[in-house]
Amino acid sequence: MPPDNGQYMVAAYIVAGVIYLGYSVSLLVRGSRARSR
Amino acid sequence: MTPDPSRAHPVITRGMVLTVLALAGVAAVMVLAVQYTPVEANQGLAQKIFYIHVPSAVVAIWVAVPMTGLASMLYLWLHDPRLDRFAAASAEVASVFCLVVLTTGPIWGKPIWGTWWTWDGRLTLTLFLFFLLLGYQTLRAAIREPLERGRFSAVLGIMGLVLIPFIHLSVYLWRGLHPKPVVLKPSEPSLPPAMLHTLLIGFGVFTVLYIGFVTLRYGIQLAQDLREAADAA
Repeated sequence: MPPDNGQYMVAAYIVAGVIYLGYSVSLLVRGSRARSR
Repeated sequence: MTPDPSRAHPVITRGMVLTVLALAGVAAVMVLAVQYTPVEANQGLAQKIFYIHVPSAVVAIWVAVPMTGLASMLYLWLHDPRLDRFAAASAEVASVFCLVVLTTGPIWGKPIWGTWWTWDGRLTLTLFLFFLLLGYQTLRAAIREPLERGRFSAVLGIMGLVLIPFIHLSVYLWRGLHPKPVVLKPSEPSLPPAMLHTLLIGFGVFTVLYIGFVTLRYGIQLAQDLREAADAA
């Protein structure tokens, strides 16, 4: 029986998602501003 | 001729498209990892962190930092501002990938090793690399003169590249908790097909994410440089 540790997987996926998504949003906003100037 | 900032627009658009596509790919890798790959008998669901942690580490250590180092070396030789701009974009993106590696790693380590962190060679050197990348960006922010900024930051970019063999060999050189590679090794990958396929898809998706981020970051910097040049003209 595998150990019950799914919460660590969920936490890691959320952390990775927040970092990648946060950086993407930052770049997309900066990119949109650079294009509109 | 006055520099035209709109020259950067196609680069920014390409970067945006690639980034959005790659983000959808990352979401697909997460779904594949949860739905398609088997649950590892000893580690349980925590092992599925592997499909995010390993591709992020491979792209940071084998793509982003080497590309930064290579562009830095070429910049010192050719003094082409495009190489400096590329190295800066790649270093910033490398630090984002490194941050993911350094956060998902301890979350995986806690249930498997029983500790969030250990001063194992692989972990410690990756932390050093992350600090070096932060130093690179701090240095760039502190120097206004472009030639001086390019030259000094190129040296730091090359130092990041020098760290890579030590990071790779650390699991062989020093005894520690971090496991040895299961795919990037001289012999056949030691993974079941479903795990290997998902991991390989992850390598592809995270490489596209790196390309999207770097293209977008490069385009933003290009637009800024062209605007400054136009203002000065």
